[in-house]
Amino acid sequence: MLTQQMLQQKKLLLCWAVIQFSLLLLLQQAFAGWVIAIFALLLLYRLLSVFQAKAPVSLKLVNLLAGIIAITFFLQLRQAGVLHFMLQILLLAATARLLALRHLYEARQLVWVHYFLIACCFILHQDMLIALLIFLVFAANLYSHYRLFSPSVHQVNWPQTGRSLLIILPLWLVMFLLFPRLPPFWQIPNANIASTGLSDTLDPGSIEQLVQDDSLAFRVEFDGALPPRQQLYWRARLYEDFDGRRWQVTTLRQNANRQRAANDAAASKDSSLSYRIIAEASQQTGLFALATPVTSSSNVFISPGGLLSSSKPVSQRLSYQVSGSLIPVMLVSEQEQLLNLRTAPGNPQTRQFAYQLKQQYPQNHALVQALAEHFRQQAFYYSLTPPPLGSNSIDAFLFDSRTGFCSHYASASAVILRHAGIAARVVGGYQGGNWHPQQGYLAVRQREAHAWVEYLDNGVWQPFDPTAAVAPERILNSLDSALPEDQRALLDPGWRQLALLQNVRQQLMHLDYYWSVWVLGFNENSQQQLWRNLYRHLPAIAYAVAALFSIIIVVLLYYRLTRSSTDNTPEATKQLYRYLGKVLASKPPSLSVSAFLLQYASHYPAHNVCLKQLIALYELALYKEDVVALKQLKQYLQCHKAELGRLRRAIKNT
Amino acid sequence: MLTQLHNVEQSLNQVILGKSSQIRLALCCLLAEGHLLLEDLPGMGKTTLAHALANSLGLSYRRVQFTSDLLPGDLVGMNIYDTRSQQFRFQAGPVFSQVLLADEINRASPKTQSALLEAMEEKQVSVDGETRALPTPFFVIATQNPLFHAGTSALPESQLDRFMFRLSLGFPDHQTEHQLLQRDSSTSRLELLTEQLNTEQLRALQQQVPKVAASDALIDYLLALVNSSRHRSDMLPLSPRASKAILRAAKAFALINQRDYVTAADVQQVFPYVAEHRLAPSSDAQESRLSQLLLLQTPCPI
Repeated sequence: MLTQQMLQQKKLLLCWAVIQFSLLLLLQQAFAGWVIAIFALLLLYRLLSVFQAKAPVSLKLVNLLAGIIAITFFLQLRQAGVLHFMLQILLLAATARLLALRHLYEARQLVWVHYFLIACCFILHQDMLIALLIFLVFAANLYSHYRLFSPSVHQVNWPQTGRSLLIILPLWLVMFLLFPRLPPFWQIPNANIASTGLSDTLDPGSIEQLVQDDSLAFRVEFDGALPPRQQLYWRARLYEDFDGRRWQVTTLRQNANRQRAANDAAASKDSSLSYRIIAEASQQTGLFALATPVTSSSNVFISPGGLLSSSKPVSQRLSYQVSGSLIPVMLVSEQEQLLNLRTAPGNPQTRQFAYQLKQQYPQNHALVQALAEHFRQQAFYYSLTPPPLGSNSIDAFLFDSRTGFCSHYASASAVILRHAGIAARVVGGYQGGNWHPQQGYLAVRQREAHAWVEYLDNGVWQPFDPTAAVAPERILNSLDSALPEDQRALLDPGWRQLALLQNVRQQLMHLDYYWSVWVLGFNENSQQQLWRNLYRHLPAIAYAVAALFSIIIVVLLYYRLTRSSTDNTPEATKQLYRYLGKVLASKPPSLSVSAFLLQYASHYPAHNVCLKQLIALYELALYKEDVVALKQLKQYLQCHKAELGRLRRAIKNT
Repeated sequence: MLTQLHNVEQSLNQVILGKSSQIRLALCCLLAEGHLLLEDLPGMGKTTLAHALANSLGLSYRRVQFTSDLLPGDLVGMNIYDTRSQQFRFQAGPVFSQVLLADEINRASPKTQSALLEAMEEKQVSVDGETRALPTPFFVIATQNPLFHAGTSALPESQLDRFMFRLSLGFPDHQTEHQLLQRDSSTSRLELLTEQLNTEQLRALQQQVPKVAASDALIDYLLALVNSSRHRSDMLPLSPRASKAILRAAKAFALINQRDYVTAADVQQVFPYVAEHRLAPSSDAQESRLSQLLLLQTPCPI
C-alpha cells in the first residue's frame, strides 16, 4: 500500500519523534519527573524500532499503556491543575499515536496535534531564545507536513517555500497587530520553580551569594532623564525583625501586602519621576521601585511601606509603569515606629558603642553622620569573602574582623541605631544598574543586589547607606570597582571574562529587551493605542495605501508593457496558456504544445473531441498564421472554459 | 495529386513491408528535391526501394555498382568516335536517368564520387567542354555499407551534406519477415507496380513544397534547434545549408501529411534524418544520438 510505504519513511518518523521529544522538554513544567522518563523511554523505543525496521507496536498494548497513564494523570488532576492535565493528555495522545501509526489520516491528525502543542509552549515560555527554539520545532513540524502531502518530492523547493513565507508575512503581521488580545481561558498554574532574587530573610552572606549571579533582575526605562546614580536605590524588601543574627520581613507586612495603601496624601505630592519596569520572572510577589512610588499600573499594588508587589508570584516577565518621587518614604503609623525600635539580646559591645554615640550626638541626623564617619575613619574593609563571625555577630564584625559586605554594614548600622533609640530597618533591594544609552534602558542584574538602612527622622524614613562610607566606588561605579582585584574573579568565572562572549551576551540582552518591549509588551493597551493612532491618521493612511497601490499598478503595467515588447510568444500560444497554463506547466520542454495536448486527447476520451478541435485551431492559428483561426480559437477557449476546467481537475487528480 | 502520392506510398508499402516511415521519408526527400543516402547492409531492400520508387512514379531507373576502378567517364558518359558518321557521338552514362541508384558509393575513388556529387548539385554534367542538362526530376539514391570498410574511401564531410536525408532501412521485424518469406517473389510484385503519378504531376508537387507555410514562431524554433548545435565541441555545427534543408524537408513532410503549413512536430520528425550525418559524419544511421540530444535540449515553446 502506498500509505504504508510512506509511513515507513524513516525520515518522517524520526522528525516526529524529535518534535515530541522537544515538546516534552519544552512542556516539562507540566509533567512530573516519572512521566518525562516514561515518555522519553517510549519515544526511544519508537526510534529504535524505526532503525530496526520493526512494525509499529500492537494497538492493544498502546491502548492499555495510554489508558493506565491517562488514569494516573486524572488521579493527579487536582495537583497538576486543568491546564497541565490538558497538556499531559494531548502529549500522551500524540506519543501513543506515534507508537501505533498505521494510516495516512492518523499521521495527519498527529501533525495537527503537534501544531496545537507547539502553540501551547507559548503559555509556559515567552523568552526570546526559547521562542526561537519553539519556532524551530514548528519548522520541523511544517516540514513533516510538507513531506506527508508530497511524498514524491525528494527535495524541498526552497525558492517556492521562501516566496510563500513572504506572502504570508504581511498577514502574520496584521494578525499580530490587530487580532484582539483575549484574556486567558484558564488559570496558569504556578510553576514549582525555585524563586530567584532577594528572599524574605537576610542572612549575613545571602547577598554575597546573590551578587555572584549575573542574570538580569529587571529593566527600567525612564520617561525623563536618568536620575544620578547615587539615587538609584531600588527598594524591594523591608527587613524589620532581627533575632540577633538574621533579619526577616515581619509577618505583619507579609499579610498587609494584599491591601492597597491609601495614598491620597502621597498622591498630592509631586510625582516628578516616571518610569517603566520590566521585571524578569522571579516566582515572588515582591517588585521594585525607587524611593516613594505614588501611582502604578493596575497589575501592581503599592503597600504601606512604599513597596510594590504583584498580586501573584511573577512567573512571566511583568511590565509595569510607576510614577513617584525621589523623596524618602513617610512614616505610616505609630506601630511601624515601635516595630523598628525592638532590639535583640546579645552584642554587648555594640550596645555600649550605641549608648556612647547617643550621648555624644543627641540629634538623629548627627548620630548617623558620626556613624558614617566612624566607618570611614576606622579600618573597615569591603569584601565579598568576610571571615565567619561568632555568636555575637555584630560585635565580632564591628570590633574584631571589620571586614564585611553591604549586608554586614547595613545590619550593624541598623542594630546600632536601634540601640541608640532611633527606629531603623534594613532595606533589601538593588543599587545602580547598567545604563545602555543606545537602547535607552537601565539593566539591573542580581549582582546589583544591595542592602542599606532606613532610619526615622521627623516622621520620614531617611535612607542611610553605610557601604557608601566604606566603599564609595560601589555606589558611584559598580561592584567590580569596589572590590579588591583578587575578589573580582569570584564575580566573573573565566568564560565570562572573554570579551567576545561578553559582547554576544550583551547583544542578546539588548535583543531580548526589544523582544519584551515590542512583542511581549504588545498588550490590549498598545493595541488600542494603535487603533487610535490609525484612526487619527486615517486620511494619511488612505493616501499612503492609494499611493502604494498606484505604484504597484504602474510597476505592473510597465513590466507588462516591456515584457510584451520583448516577448515574442505567438498570440495563439498565449491564448492557450491563459486557459491551460496549469496543464501546460507539466509539458516536457522539448515537446511541442500540440503534441503534448494530443497525449491527453487519447488519455481522456471524454475530452477527446474538444482537445482535437482545439489542437486543429491552434495549429492553424500558429503555424499558418491564420487570423480567422485565431479568432475561432479564442472563442472556442471561452466557450469551453468549463470543460477545460474539468479536464484540468481530471489531470490533477490522476 | 496528393491522393496519387498516397497511392504511390501504398503500393510501395506493398512491395517493401513494414517500412512505412522510411518510405514516407524517402518520398519526402524526393518531393524536397533532395538526394537520399541509404546506409545499410546488403540485402536489406535498398535496390528494391529505389526500383519501386522509379516504377511507381514512371521514372527511368539506372543502377551503378560503384567499384574502385569506376571512372568518372563510366558514370557521366563520353564522346565516342563513330566511324560510320565520322563524328564524335556522346554516349550518355547512367547518370542520365531520373532515378539513379549509386550502390556502395564509398567503394569508388574520390574522383568518381565528386563527379557524381557535382552532378547532383548542378543537375548538369560537362563533358569535353559541353554542358548537358540532366533529366528532371533527378533523384540519386546512394547506398553505403556501414561495415566492411576495407578498401573504401569514405565520403568527406563537405560532400555528405549534398545528401538531404540519410536513412537506414534496418532489419524487418519477425512478423514482417515471416510474411516476406511466405509470399512468392518480390520481384514479380515489383513488376506489377504501375505508374501512379506521372512526371508532370511529380514536378507540380515538387513546386508546391516551397509554398507550404512556415510561421515566424516555427522558424524561430528551427533556428534555436540549429543554433544549439553551434559553438560546441561534441558535434559539427549545422550550416545555413543544413537549416535550409531541414525547413525544406519539413515542408515536404507537411505536404505528404496533407497540410499546407509546417508544424513543430514536422521539424522534429525530419530533423534526425536531415541533421545526424551533418553533425557526425561517421555515426551510425540506425541511432541518431546527437540529433535526439539536440531535440531534447532545445525547448519548444510553441
